[in-house]
Amino acid sequence: MAANFWTSSHFKQLLDQEEVDVVNPLDKGKGITLEDFKLIKMHMANYIGKLATYVKVRQRVVATAVTYMRRVYTRKSMVEYDPRLVAPTCLYLASKAEESTVQARLLVFYIKKQIPDDKYKYEIKDILEMEMKILEAINYYLVVFHPYRSLSQLLQDAGLNDITMTQLTWGIVNDTYKMDLILVHPPHLIALACIYIASVLRDKDTTSWFEELRVDMNVVKNISMEILDFYENHHKPINEDRISAAANAALSKLALKP
Amino acid sequence: MGDGGNRGLVGSGNSNNNGGNGSSGNKPEWLQHYDLIGKIGEGTYGLVFLARTKSPGNRGKSIAIKKFKQSKDGDGVSPTAIREIMLLREITHDNVVKLVNVHINHADMSLYLAFDYAEHDLYEIIRHHRDKVNHAIHQYTVKSLLWQLLNGLNYLHSNWIIHRDLKPSNILVMGEGEEQGVVKIADFGLARIYQAPLKPLAENGVVVTIWYRAPELLLGAKHYTSAVDMWAVGCIFAELLTLKPLFQGAEVKATPNPFQLDQLDKIFKVLGHPTLEKWPTLANLPHWQQDIQHIQGHNDNSHGLHGFVHLPLKSPAFDLLSKMLEYDPRKRITAAQALEHEYFRLEPLPGRNALVPSQGEKVVNYPTRPVDTTTDFEGTTSLQPSQPVSSGNAVSGNMAGAHGVPGRSVPRPMLGMQRMQPQGMTGYNLASQAGIGGGMNPGGIPMQRGVNPQAHQQQQLRRKDPGMGMSGYPPQQKQRRM
Repeated sequence: MAANFWTSSHFKQLLDQEEVDVVNPLDKGKGITLEDFKLIKMHMANYIGKLATYVKVRQRVVATAVTYMRRVYTRKSMVEYDPRLVAPTCLYLASKAEESTVQARLLVFYIKKQIPDDKYKYEIKDILEMEMKILEAINYYLVVFHPYRSLSQLLQDAGLNDITMTQLTWGIVNDTYKMDLILVHPPHLIALACIYIASVLRDKDTTSWFEELRVDMNVVKNISMEILDFYENHHKPINEDRISAAANAALSKLALKP
Repeated sequence: MGDGGNRGLVGSGNSNNNGGNGSSGNKPEWLQHYDLIGKIGEGTYGLVFLARTKSPGNRGKSIAIKKFKQSKDGDGVSPTAIREIMLLREITHDNVVKLVNVHINHADMSLYLAFDYAEHDLYEIIRHHRDKVNHAIHQYTVKSLLWQLLNGLNYLHSNWIIHRDLKPSNILVMGEGEEQGVVKIADFGLARIYQAPLKPLAENGVVVTIWYRAPELLLGAKHYTSAVDMWAVGCIFAELLTLKPLFQGAEVKATPNPFQLDQLDKIFKVLGHPTLEKWPTLANLPHWQQDIQHIQGHNDNSHGLHGFVHLPLKSPAFDLLSKMLEYDPRKRITAAQALEHEYFRLEPLPGRNALVPSQGEKVVNYPTRPVDTTTDFEGTTSLQPSQPVSSGNAVSGNMAGAHGVPGRSVPRPMLGMQRMQPQGMTGYNLASQAGIGGGMNPGGIPMQRGVNPQAHQQQQLRRKDPGMGMSGYPPQQKQRRM
């Protein structure tokens, strides 16, 4: 359903982590490792966020676009679906789905203007063709639920909706899109994990509040651990340039002759 | 286009996904799963076709295929199509049209939505009674249609979806078969999930028929609710009873302007002027504030709704109708409340097959949808000039001509309409149609040899020109293809 997560296509499509962590055989053949795979997706999430600041769309559109991109790569190879084209196209498609349409020529303009690397340059026609391929690849499932909505409700419920906690948790939620969490976990559990981390960082005692919630705290803690592992591995604050360099090195494998 | 145009598997899988569109010229592989029958409608977004499935198990099942054109501004799949797919992929209900497949033709970048075909719609049913059989729609049928419409709408609203463009041509009714007489709400191109505040219709550059538009929209409400759909249901209810649109305002087509004075005037004439007493938030609506001399302070010279719909003031039917046409959207009856209304608990009780009352009453045979068999999936008319195509609205509204193009009913000569295989259609497996099987003539109309059976049928079923004597019909968005 469009408004009820539990009956939505999003819920029905949730995957196990093991299913998400499968490198497509075509990509594997090019020498892409699971680590490369994750790195490229992270880099593309950053790229989508960067493009979004140029074309001025809300965070929600970015989150939807990143989700589309991650869904594409649960079914398609990077060899056939070049991430450097898929990423802006997902932003393009998400902007339509989220009712704040961005023109394709505007995206193309900013890519040309702001991204020095020629391998990122695409024409409008490429984006329009890829839009249809992405629609197919994600099997026309376009509704995505995000942690943001539950986040503000939960913060309020916990009495933690002051500016610092709101900003901190919001930032952590943004960072979760650098991982595949949105493909694996219900969004409200991701929101809870972000609150959990923030309350530990800020020394807020939320134990009793969490206890009263009827949710599986093991899942929340597992998600929290995953987020913390991620921060550890990528040195908070996350260094986008390093990720970018490493991802581009991985991407260059895709172009290698077999 | 490397991946081929055949991955659009929605619902039960019925196509093998061997990519590549090389199998039959450059026709996408998915097209071979259908026999194209012809065109049944045309709108601003594209065309609607009738086809039959060839897949084993479902062979011969009628499907309406809505083709979206590439948007003219070179901006890919139209946002309308995206949002329609987005919603339809999430919803399943007996009284909502079923999206069975999505297809993409990468070669010309067009997108096709395949729906279960519905033979009838309320526009045609009302018109048939008004122009052909000359008597009111049976009470059982009105009640069953209304109940199912509300049932579908209750489902949508409880899932936070507002339809926003309900009108008779968007309310489909299934023809012969297992689902005969079942209502299907169609055309979700304007539908919205309303968790987030919605932009006003005008801001989206949207053109919708104004006759079913709620007063809060006409008065420029910035935020609105599912109550706008209930107003439209009220208008449709009245139209089912009287066979005439209830509020037939003339549309001002200038600039995107939600302010439609004539439409408001038509409403006021029937319901009287709204007052701040009955509708307190009226004071906040932009056009109420701006246009004092026209809207405010009129004498109440209304004729009374009951007079228009010929219902006794005390009848449950009238009570329900007046609650749907409540000015204040916050007081207007909801779909859930309406379903519980006394009207539906009194004989005749509503039923699943709205077209066939359980006992006694004579069954009305509604005409089947006219089909233009001379068009192919490209929408190109081949060889001979085609008959004017009905605006038969198998899946959707916003159809050009949903309310008629004056003069289109001029009969065309039947001569020279010999069945010929249009060249452009060979790729679409139309050869089988040349043999004119039984399925091609659902109406059982005797066919002359060498005469296009569909054209013949069309000749009989053609709509009367609804423009005649109906000066209030809104101007057309687009001239129909002839």
